[in-house]
Amino acid sequence: MDRRNFLKIAAVSSAAAALDGCGKPENHLIRFIPEEELIPGVAQRKPGVCTQCPAGCGIQVRVMEGEAEVTRHGQVGLLSMGLAKKLEGNPDHPVNRGKLCAWGQAGLQVTYHPDRIRFPLRRSGPRGSGEYQEISWDEAIKDLSSHLSSLKSPGKASPVAFLTKPLHDHCGVLIEQFLAALGAPPAVKFEFFEQTVLRRANELSFGHHQLPTFDLANSNYVMSFGADFLGTWNSPVSQNLGYGTMRQGRPGLRGKFVQVEARMSQTGANADEWINAKPGTEGLLALGLAHVILSEKLRPAEAAGEAGARIEDWSKGLPDYAPEAVSKLTGVEASRIQRLAREMAAHAPAVAIIGGASLAQTNGLANALAANALNALLGSVEKPGGVFFTPQPPIPGLAARKEGASVRELCGGILAKSTPVEALLIYNANPVFASPSEWRVREALEKVPFIASFGSFVDETSILSDLILPDHSYLESWVDNIPESGTTQAVASLAPPAMNPLHHTRAMPDVLLDVAHQLGGDVGKALPWKTYGDMLQAAFDPLRSHPGSTSAKTADDFWSEVQDKGGWWSAGITKSPAMRAANPSIAPVKVSAPQFDGAAQEYPFNFLPYASQQFLDGSLAHLPWLQEMPDVVSTAMWGTWIEINPQTAERLGIQQGDLVEVASQHGKLQAPALLSPGIAPEVIAMPVGQGHEHYGRYASERGANPIKILAAQVEPQTGALAWSATRVKVKPTGQKGKLILLGGGLRESPREFHHR
Amino acid sequence: MKRQWGMVIDLDRCTGCEACVAACHAENNIATVGDDQAAKGRTMHWIRVERYWEGEFPDVRLRYQPVFCQQCADAPCESVCPVYATYHNPEGLNAQVYNRCVGTRYCGNACPYNVRFFNFFNPVWDKPLNLQFNPDVSVRSVGIMEKCTFCIQRIKTAEIKALAEKRELKDGEFNPACVQSCPANAMVFGDLDDPQSEVARLAQSNRATKLLEGVGTEPNVICLRSVS
Repeated sequence: MDRRNFLKIAAVSSAAAALDGCGKPENHLIRFIPEEELIPGVAQRKPGVCTQCPAGCGIQVRVMEGEAEVTRHGQVGLLSMGLAKKLEGNPDHPVNRGKLCAWGQAGLQVTYHPDRIRFPLRRSGPRGSGEYQEISWDEAIKDLSSHLSSLKSPGKASPVAFLTKPLHDHCGVLIEQFLAALGAPPAVKFEFFEQTVLRRANELSFGHHQLPTFDLANSNYVMSFGADFLGTWNSPVSQNLGYGTMRQGRPGLRGKFVQVEARMSQTGANADEWINAKPGTEGLLALGLAHVILSEKLRPAEAAGEAGARIEDWSKGLPDYAPEAVSKLTGVEASRIQRLAREMAAHAPAVAIIGGASLAQTNGLANALAANALNALLGSVEKPGGVFFTPQPPIPGLAARKEGASVRELCGGILAKSTPVEALLIYNANPVFASPSEWRVREALEKVPFIASFGSFVDETSILSDLILPDHSYLESWVDNIPESGTTQAVASLAPPAMNPLHHTRAMPDVLLDVAHQLGGDVGKALPWKTYGDMLQAAFDPLRSHPGSTSAKTADDFWSEVQDKGGWWSAGITKSPAMRAANPSIAPVKVSAPQFDGAAQEYPFNFLPYASQQFLDGSLAHLPWLQEMPDVVSTAMWGTWIEINPQTAERLGIQQGDLVEVASQHGKLQAPALLSPGIAPEVIAMPVGQGHEHYGRYASERGANPIKILAAQVEPQTGALAWSATRVKVKPTGQKGKLILLGGGLRESPREFHHR
Repeated sequence: MKRQWGMVIDLDRCTGCEACVAACHAENNIATVGDDQAAKGRTMHWIRVERYWEGEFPDVRLRYQPVFCQQCADAPCESVCPVYATYHNPEGLNAQVYNRCVGTRYCGNACPYNVRFFNFFNPVWDKPLNLQFNPDVSVRSVGIMEKCTFCIQRIKTAEIKALAEKRELKDGEFNPACVQSCPANAMVFGDLDDPQSEVARLAQSNRATKLLEGVGTEPNVICLRSVS
């Protein structure tokens, strides 16, 4: 840009800033001079909170002065501003201790993504066409407010629905307060790899409705039933940290790790012993181990306590789960079950982990309860080397989190005309992509007269919206997070914006507050804060009186110290609240065999969709660094594939890279075959995450989406989708598929390197 | 002060999570090449995690091996470069001088580890992805070889800082991006010539081995064998 243009923009901008710049920071035009604290060439480290997955790691943002091309009032200009250059783990954060995973590293590309929505949009073409026109923020907020106020009718429930990913922060609190003030039902939370089953099981077994935390660093024996805890499950960075210490961090002591699953995951590859059990029989195996421990009196039976009481016949020593009987159902030899049980009991502290596909079965809850009972029997609950529950920080208002309807219930209600929804607000949830076809999510959402979305990207769900109010990225806004697991300290992470917004976006909670104030009345009164930052300050202040990571006495000192540190955490290890007695009205459970959709004769294979190491549930598929990061088990990039056992492939006449068709009773898809020695002959596996229709230039029209052929089977006691309970058939198409492998073309193979 | 930068990777800790791969891309302005070029084997993973299958189902094992420039003491890439673009620096690194490189790709052919990457085209960053560029690392152009530098920009920054503060560099004071990120603490970086350093201590382990040791490259990356 030349000097003349620069001056022109500077003049326009400063005039505009003088007119409407007061009050809200978002209304200020980005400064033309470098921010004062930034010295060109010198990096600053600002705290942040990672929002790429639910784990909630603390990060440090490396900010340096740079020149950004931005558009203001239709004019393009170069602005000197602080830019995020690199993300690292926050060394003090109790969850990740300075470490960060690949998803966290790639988070920079969220802020700088070329397909981010840069300003508010109003739909100008037919719904779903993706045709939008730019509008101003004033118009956008007025539009949303007038829609919501027109739907108010005293005495009746508000026909407004809010659809969001599960939020472990004050945005979630704000949304619930907003909805309550409107008289609308609680928010509908959606994520594909939901953890409903495990939370429910932990509530029944231990009185904690939350995900578990494992003290792997002190374990001597870890048995994981299908949990990809070093890759995609729960709190991967904290679990990697503990795992590393378990293996080589204690001189002279090395913990053993056993993985049970039907398809070797990134985690399973690290196991000393890898055990193939039939899908959905993991709980049976756990009870088989418990049977041996009980019958050989390796541990006292009463050690099982409340957890054991959830399993039928626990007190009688589980007569139905003798190794021989369990062996028939699981496919694991009886002698091996005996040996594993003896090993586990002898190598205290030992811990069982269950997660992933084991819980996405029709018997998922029983599987989880069985693993919990095994932990109780081993004496590993809230003991070093065992399973813990992260205490929640003493912030009033957090406890009042409400359970909303599920997406399945919402869409069913809309289609049956039993749930009136006149307006739908969507925040970072994409059920149109990530739900089985049978739920008819798209069809249901299309019936809603008005949809507004706050997301930063156009995806399969937000493309249905009439109004888009684009959010800041998580580096540009106030972020907070209350980790559900991954640490034994109570943690409330917090960070102010690390950089100014790049585009003409606004933070979702601030928009919600603006709308509430425009609506006035009860809604305005219920949400008194001017900005989300004000709300956070008020919410965090009660922590000042608790012993923790800050010693500041005054409210102002405390607030600035919390911002500098990236949050507040309790001093040392806090004890989680005493375990509540389990609900006695629940009858003891029996682990029965899993049910699958599709007759075995016609659909001979168990279909296993799994969380992608690259993209989790597909919400990270838009980031090019992750597209080009090879999946470590297959080494594949930029696509999807179908994992198939080499013997099965030979029988079906399928070779590596052949395009094959996978069909269930509910749909079919095509993808290239990847012959993998680490998968059971009767199982077909496929990563979730690709197959987007709309999700930016790097993800759209790439690969296939396995979710779309899943049966809408649920775990009956929780209503959670049993995404691992579908059977499929497979046939070659006669064509070649596009399979891009990093491992394909390497000349040298240092295989001899691994000799023992 | 004479130094020999080196690294130890504990394969018993490495879980194959690839945090190092993403961290390296972010730190070193490494371009993504897209699916068509990736299919031709032209991706530029300065660090990659190789995986090796052993056995047959169900008695199957899969092993991970992070591979990146081994910063060889006797590096085959150095002796073949006609323009001294690749040379041995005083701190024991195989350095690559981008603006000397004329793109003969001899070094890439000579390297037994496949860790040198050629820019077949000028790299493309769709705007505004370019705003992420680390200003401490130059962006390479078409016709240039590139490779892992042990994050030499971080080494230099730390050395200059220590010099300005009139003190010695402390062991573990800084780390390359991959080491800093590694969630399982599988990687340790430091001065192999300093007997007090963590990396020198770990290099004495009875599990210590080097990648393709037999070809005589004398790597400065030491791998600790997996136990099981």
